[in-house]
Amino acid sequence: MKRIAVFGYSLMSLEVIKQLNEEQYSYIFIVKNESEALLVAEQGFDTKIIDFRNDEAIKSVGIGENIDILFCFYPKDSDNVFLTISARALDNKLTIIAIVDDPESAEKLLAAGANKIIDPYEICGRKTHDMLAKPDITDILDNTVFGRHDLHIAQIEIPKNSPLQQTKTSTLLLAGTYNLIIIGVVDKVSFDTLHFVMDEKEHTLNTGDVLVVLGPARDIKAFKEEIDAVTGI
Amino acid sequence: MLTQLILALVTFQQHSPYYKKTKQFFYHLLEAPDSRLKSRFDKAMIVSVLFSVFLLIDEVDTPASSFERIFEHLLIALFILEYLLRAWLHSDVHHIILTQYAKALYLNHPMQWGNVAKMIIAQKVAYMLTPLAIIDLLAILPSFRSLTVFRALLIFRLFKLFRYFKSLRLFAEVLESKRFELYTLAIFLSFLIFIGSIGIYFFEHAANGLQVRNLFDALYWSIVTVTSVGYGDIAPQTTGGRLVAIGLILTGFGVLSFLISIIVSAVNDKMHGLRENSIYAELKHYKSFVIICGFGRVGQHIAKQLEKHKQHFIIIDNNEINAMNARHLGYLVIHADASKNEVLINAGIKQKASAVLCTTGDDVVNVYITLTSRYLNSSIRIISRANHPQNVKKLYQAGADNVIQPFEIAALVVAQYIGKPVAFEAILGVIREEKQFIMETLPVCAGSMIDGITIAELDFEHRKLMLIGVVSANPTHRKHKNSYALKNQHFYFNPPPFFILRSGDLLVVLGREIGIAYFREQLKNSNPKESKR
Repeated sequence: MKRIAVFGYSLMSLEVIKQLNEEQYSYIFIVKNESEALLVAEQGFDTKIIDFRNDEAIKSVGIGENIDILFCFYPKDSDNVFLTISARALDNKLTIIAIVDDPESAEKLLAAGANKIIDPYEICGRKTHDMLAKPDITDILDNTVFGRHDLHIAQIEIPKNSPLQQTKTSTLLLAGTYNLIIIGVVDKVSFDTLHFVMDEKEHTLNTGDVLVVLGPARDIKAFKEEIDAVTGI
Repeated sequence: MLTQLILALVTFQQHSPYYKKTKQFFYHLLEAPDSRLKSRFDKAMIVSVLFSVFLLIDEVDTPASSFERIFEHLLIALFILEYLLRAWLHSDVHHIILTQYAKALYLNHPMQWGNVAKMIIAQKVAYMLTPLAIIDLLAILPSFRSLTVFRALLIFRLFKLFRYFKSLRLFAEVLESKRFELYTLAIFLSFLIFIGSIGIYFFEHAANGLQVRNLFDALYWSIVTVTSVGYGDIAPQTTGGRLVAIGLILTGFGVLSFLISIIVSAVNDKMHGLRENSIYAELKHYKSFVIICGFGRVGQHIAKQLEKHKQHFIIIDNNEINAMNARHLGYLVIHADASKNEVLINAGIKQKASAVLCTTGDDVVNVYITLTSRYLNSSIRIISRANHPQNVKKLYQAGADNVIQPFEIAALVVAQYIGKPVAFEAILGVIREEKQFIMETLPVCAGSMIDGITIAELDFEHRKLMLIGVVSANPTHRKHKNSYALKNQHFYFNPPPFFILRSGDLLVVLGREIGIAYFREQLKNSNPKESKR
């Protein structure tokens, strides 16, 4: 189970937690005052009142020790930049996700060491455009993949000694066997490049490659379990 | 008998599509403010008028060649035809006759043909007395060379350019809007010139009789002085005359400044309306466009996306700063309240607008705009922004097709990024067409090559396409598993090879753009209705 520290109590922080699978993550909320702490505690989360400007206080939350992911959700960009710099100095491997109010602050947050910048207004603008440009597709995906239905996209890493190693993507027929559709493969060597299964260039699977699949949760789970069982994980 | 004949004729006119079409054509050619046909006609007329004026000037000292004469005759024929067509377009004679006939029938009175003729003539004369119609008529007269006096009317041919140049017409409108101020100024100026003329005559005629010989010389000197021209051909010699000159020069400056300020303020007053009119005119040239209500943070990002994808849009914002920002970015903006019916109607909600986006930061305003938009157009797509989750339902009730919540969507992105960043980026890239592969929907039309065949027969692999699923409302598909309920239909994920496609189904496919376009074309050609077209 991964541990997440959420700095800043807002609509956004509550929404993120609502979207995450509660079985996979545990949370600690860092709030400003007693009244906020009460509100968060009512929702069933651990809370702590600390001053994020103090490194010792940040350490006391578990950053640099047991915190895997940090959410910088303060309304002021300067606060998020300061928190990001402090946290990055304490833990180099920490995943830091920060929201940004002024788009100009995005570069500063990245420079401070954030892994992902979230601009809610930009995301909303893009989403609206997607709805306009591709109403059918966004409607289907919103109702299935991103909605309440049991249809998901997943990324499955090819483990060591997997029978799938050296298999060509065109010969992977998961649709009939596992009820999964492979969208593509992300090559371990060129991590950013997604090779689509239907591409003319044949891709041979290697250890560490990531399969991007679409399907019902139970079928994704069954496929993962089968791979892990064969490789003895 | 004659009455019956006239009535039959006007009834025929009233119902004849050919007559309507012809009149519509000439309206678009001569009068419609935003017509492209009129714009081309105006340009052609500007060139013709300037050329004809050049020829008429040339004729002053050289005899006209046969080409010049033919050109002049053709142009005059065109001017006369244009004049008559404009008079015809100005009012509908048949409409007046039929209205009067209906009145007479209702009142059980005999038809008063004399009154009807008077009404028709009055309307046509009213047109003939409009300034532009008078200019049109006077522009024709210089061609009657036998009457030398008419040649002086050549200047009216240049005035005719007023009709064709939008900016000249605009200047005339600006002057017209400040008629009262200009009249006041003209009266004051006349009074000033009158005093100046009398004054200079009184002081100078006796002492400087050679220069100020009569009242006309005095009037000429006053006008030259008050307008700050001052040729110097007449100069006051007496102290009294010089005092009049000083007074006239100083007041002349004041009058000139007043005139300029009137014109500047009139242009300023008109500018807002003119800018909006030019926006509406531009919108009419688009096949379709999106209305963005609110140019806040979300509105700005939507505009950026639409601009990137070369889609047309119009922004409506009541906030002066937001409107100015949008204008600086080169977008079409209406600085007005988007919840007003008139504003949305003018923006084209009932015509070419394809969607309305309510993106203000205030849910109350968004609900109101959504409701107004739905009331004005029952079929238009409305996407609204909800800033608070409790308002989502209200926006749907108001008529929104989709409701977006910035923080919910952002939270989804965060959640997806944590769990499966690669997969999420891949699917987003596919939706936004940033990757080489795209996801599209293809309809199964009745009678097309895929209507009634199985998935296996379609052989997607051979077409280098991947079938993700089928969207359908057809109840015969219900037996298949992997069914997910959408609004009024179901999405069948990964349908089995024996799945039979039915008309009305929607295929969701993934593939290269070229492959999908080719398949779409094949489907279109195999559709009996489409191939007939």
